[in-house]
Amino acid sequence: MSVLKYFDLYFKLISAGVRAQLQYRFAFVMRIVGLITSYTGTAVTMWIMLYQFQELGSWTFYEMLFLFAVAILSWGFCIILFFHFRGLDTYILNGTFDRFLVRPINPFFHFMAMKFDVASFGQFIFSIGIFIWVGFELQLDWTLGKSLFLLFSVIGGVFIQGGLLVMISALAFWTTKSEQFYWVAMYPARNLTNYPLVIYPKAVQWFTAFVVPFGFVNYFPAAVLLEKETPFFPDKIGYFSPLVGIIFFAVAYYIWMLGLKQYKSTGS
Amino acid sequence: MFRFRLYWTFTKKAFLRSAVYRFDVWSRLGSNLIFLLMWGSIWTALYAGREEAGGVSFEAMLTYIVVSQFLTGVNGAGTPLWDIQEKVRTGDISLELMRPFDVPLRYLFADFGSVAFYILTALLPLYTVLFIFMDLTLPDSWQTWVLFIISAFIGFLIRYCIEMSFGLLSFFLVETGGIVDIFYFAMSLLSGSVIPLWFFPGWLEKMALYLPFQGIYYIPNAIFIGEISGSAILLSLGIQLFWVGVCYLLLRLVWNRASHKVVVQGG
Repeated sequence: MSVLKYFDLYFKLISAGVRAQLQYRFAFVMRIVGLITSYTGTAVTMWIMLYQFQELGSWTFYEMLFLFAVAILSWGFCIILFFHFRGLDTYILNGTFDRFLVRPINPFFHFMAMKFDVASFGQFIFSIGIFIWVGFELQLDWTLGKSLFLLFSVIGGVFIQGGLLVMISALAFWTTKSEQFYWVAMYPARNLTNYPLVIYPKAVQWFTAFVVPFGFVNYFPAAVLLEKETPFFPDKIGYFSPLVGIIFFAVAYYIWMLGLKQYKSTGS
Repeated sequence: MFRFRLYWTFTKKAFLRSAVYRFDVWSRLGSNLIFLLMWGSIWTALYAGREEAGGVSFEAMLTYIVVSQFLTGVNGAGTPLWDIQEKVRTGDISLELMRPFDVPLRYLFADFGSVAFYILTALLPLYTVLFIFMDLTLPDSWQTWVLFIISAFIGFLIRYCIEMSFGLLSFFLVETGGIVDIFYFAMSLLSGSVIPLWFFPGWLEKMALYLPFQGIYYIPNAIFIGEISGSAILLSLGIQLFWVGVCYLLLRLVWNRASHKVVVQGG
């Protein structure tokens, strides 16, 4: 099937899902309210922290908000495309994964197009609100170049976080567990990167730059946009986000396909 | 009449169940450690080499965070809120209603079992090592140790009553998203689990001191590092006891309403 056909199919599949979710309007609104509440909670925590101390590793409150918003924006897209990958273990255990294998389309694509979570609008509302607010406070000059840079960084961030979700999901092929790995490893790691990496021990910084490249999701790009220094790392390292994202995602996709190849149905 | 031996069975069973699923239980330690690393690094960076800030030494502040993270592990090892919600949503809770025991108490005693397993096999070994290798302060008398343990235990009860009450809201609301997030926010911020109340802006500190959440982390942590000492400890324990009473009544009220609702719909 051609790439265009796949695009067409993706939109057909997700539009059905979106329509289904919008039937429950109250639940939809409540989930968005919930998301915005919890992100606001993190922002308020940052504010209280810096109420007494003014800065965290040379980052001020508004700069930290900006850093946070970059992460949330790419996470919003990530939720739409890949968040349900963490639940692959349930499909395997229930035997419902097999239906993705008997159709004449790529199983990875089919699994990806299965769900489209509209609650991610909560992430978009929150992060764009923050960008506007912080833009005024720090008098950021949103030139075309900077806007494009942010756009490409966000795409890179989607690939990095999506890639990690795909890797976690692939673990289910070998261990029949994945959801749990998300909650004990990726969820806390995502929280870790809401704060500037410079405050962590060098080994952790190195790890989040070159092993699981979370640093390229928000820290390096935000440092470029806000013209902040990133000690221990070369200047302008933030420009590599899209490239790092694509490479990381390609590796993740390869691992997922490898797992799929040796997957045997649980037979339940 | 309170039948201790009946409920104690739930504690024993929950302990044994945790032992069967021990790898699931221990994997939670990974998340606990990442959050400890995060908050430890944040406070190190906030102090930025200063010996003390706001009258509290860096060593005491770091101890506060480590103790807080330990208690977070303790409080997170019981039945989580979403599990209760799931039981209400799927109707599984009705099976419990038919049995001759009190559901909120049964879950509390089961939590004692799973928490005990997690403390003994995971938290205590890890945090003992941390206390040996890090520069942290320990209480200087055994009385403080005892008062800390009592305070942490009351804090656990307060958290249990509040969390259970929120979980039972699913009886009344189809979607609890926004409300549950307010609960988690209060739990992490107003309880002083990551920022001690003395660093709050004045008005917020006052507000937090009028709420029950301070009893969960702030009071036990502050007793441990000696920020609350002498007769102030007894006052704090009194406040905690007051809140555990109020929260217990709240849980009873929510539970009575909820179980009544089930009876009404049960036709």
